[in-house]
Amino acid sequence: MRAEIKKIHEMMESADYVTDPAIATSVHLAMTLKKPLLIEGHAGVGKTEVAKVMAKMLGTSLIRLQCYEGLDAAQALYEWNYPKQLLHIKLEESTAHTMSEKEATIFSPAFLIRRPLLQAISATGAPPVLLIDEIDRADEEFEAFLLEVLSDFQVTIPEVGTIKATQPPYVILTSNRVRELSDALRRRCLYLWIDFPGFEKEVRIVTRKVPGVNERLAKEISRFMETVRTIRLAKVPGIAETLDWAQALSSLHADHLDEELVTETLGCVVKDADDVKRLKRELATGGIGRFVAAQS
Amino acid sequence: MAVPRDLTRATLAFGATLRASGLPVTTSAVMDAVRALEAVDLMDRAEVYLALRTVLMSRLEEQPAFDRCFEAFWRFHAEDGQGLDGLVATIQPQRREDEPEVDAVEAAREKQAQIALDDWEGGDAADDEPVEVPGLSDREALMDQDFSTFPAEQLDEVARLTVQIAKRLARRVSRRRKPTRRGGVIDLRRSMRANLMKGEIIELRRRSRRRRKVRLVLLCDVSGSMDLYSRFLLQFLYALQNVFGRVETFTFATRLTRVSDLLRGPSYKSALRRLTEVRDFSGGTRIGESIREFNQNWGRLVDRRTIVLLLSDGWDTGEPEVLAQEMLTLKRRAARVIWLNPLLGNPSYEPLTRGMAAALPLVDHFAAAHNLSSLRELASHLRVR
Repeated sequence: MRAEIKKIHEMMESADYVTDPAIATSVHLAMTLKKPLLIEGHAGVGKTEVAKVMAKMLGTSLIRLQCYEGLDAAQALYEWNYPKQLLHIKLEESTAHTMSEKEATIFSPAFLIRRPLLQAISATGAPPVLLIDEIDRADEEFEAFLLEVLSDFQVTIPEVGTIKATQPPYVILTSNRVRELSDALRRRCLYLWIDFPGFEKEVRIVTRKVPGVNERLAKEISRFMETVRTIRLAKVPGIAETLDWAQALSSLHADHLDEELVTETLGCVVKDADDVKRLKRELATGGIGRFVAAQS
Repeated sequence: MAVPRDLTRATLAFGATLRASGLPVTTSAVMDAVRALEAVDLMDRAEVYLALRTVLMSRLEEQPAFDRCFEAFWRFHAEDGQGLDGLVATIQPQRREDEPEVDAVEAAREKQAQIALDDWEGGDAADDEPVEVPGLSDREALMDQDFSTFPAEQLDEVARLTVQIAKRLARRVSRRRKPTRRGGVIDLRRSMRANLMKGEIIELRRRSRRRRKVRLVLLCDVSGSMDLYSRFLLQFLYALQNVFGRVETFTFATRLTRVSDLLRGPSYKSALRRLTEVRDFSGGTRIGESIREFNQNWGRLVDRRTIVLLLSDGWDTGEPEVLAQEMLTLKRRAARVIWLNPLLGNPSYEPLTRGMAAALPLVDHFAAAHNLSSLRELASHLRVR
């Protein structure tokens, strides 16, 4: 293993992020090739966490752009602070400043609202980590706009001029695959799929993140989750659910799983009424053994 | 460590292999791959794999193909403990072996298409002919006649009429948009402009979010007698295409096939004819299983702006429970689920098959698509509230 990748691996682990070679390699390449990294995976497998850990590792700031339906350039890039500009004009009415002086004032950086993309481009010092979270929630039109920004990391504001990033930020995009992304965007990015963790990895995550859980319980939890994910559910639980559950069990001072305990705390594992019903039925017929028995 | 020039050549060859397997690998991606390989330990097979996968793969669905290509590429030298160098030599003959094989498959497919080709639609030359508009009385009669009862020589004309109606509908829909006066956020830029002469901001201008186009997902039963109806429905909807954001099409009989890309191509008409190729004569229709397959693999194509159209006669040989469960999953995700059943055009028909009975409560709209009038009527349901 390349020393740099090993180092990233260790640094991620020491930042409390349980990782694997695939994630470490992709992060290493995103940093060396200076290309955006598109991370896909089910909800709650730790996609966003990668960007956070990366910023922590590099000792730089994390700038986050949360995407949603209807997100547009004004909310992502920059906007003039109109109310402030209007007020300023009012206050300046009686002064002797000339028209052009007034204009220069209200279109100065003090009246500019910097949204995440502009923040990332105009950052000074070490390049920040730009996290574009859940890009699949944004509209297709926004995706096209984003492509433009990501290709040359410069923005032209008519009143101010062109701002170009001195050092392009590290870009992480995440997607839950709610919507299919365009090929153009995919072409521009490196790609990483984060799957649900395997048994060993999940045990490590649980013991690392929830210290109150003993080894037996951690193993039982992970085995249980592994089985649950093979059942067809409306919403398959991710690591976030595992950790919530482990936390709940730990505060109940549990040291192993039994049917009663599982039934009581099932709400931490699945969050859909039908799924809860379904799991309860499986529990009633197969018993706890169906879920935590070691699989060959 | 590999000599850089060989490394570049090996990577280029690997890129070509991936491309031959259908992965959209660009030259710039291959150049990135070379840079990526310089940044990892070339003696570590797992690391080379991860690096190449990060750069050259762009969606999860490509992974099986990628893994196969990578395996083939490494087979010869991994055992010797060698790195990537020398792969150049092995990849060249391998490709030459593969190529005629690919051609043969392609030729066979073409031939099959020829056999499956029906004569009702006419050749490509017919496309250039001016569209004939039948006289009013002829047309009225055509509107209400079931597609399956047209004689073969008239189908060509009916197909043209279908497209014509769709195009007129498309124009009407796009003209219907009007600006909203209330609601939305205040548009200060426009407010300031509108009030420039007044000295004060008096009149506020508002803007509302631009309406996104509705998307369509079509699941067409192409078993037996349904095939003809599928073709007319497809022709109708594709002519309406610019009204919708995106049209995705799948066909099914016993298994599901995605045909969107086929239909999007320039040879759209011949693609339409080719649809029957996916037909499976062996068994009946397994609607439930087909929808399950769709939900599992393509569920992300459906969101709250998506209307799912299912064209089938409801003769399902699968389990009705499966169908009901999968319809529920689909309904939860989609804006609307519309079931089109051409048999509904027959006044004596009642949806009594077990599959139909299980699915009906979960359908937002149930309609026929058996003649031109019913297709025209369908257009008014293709909207999201």
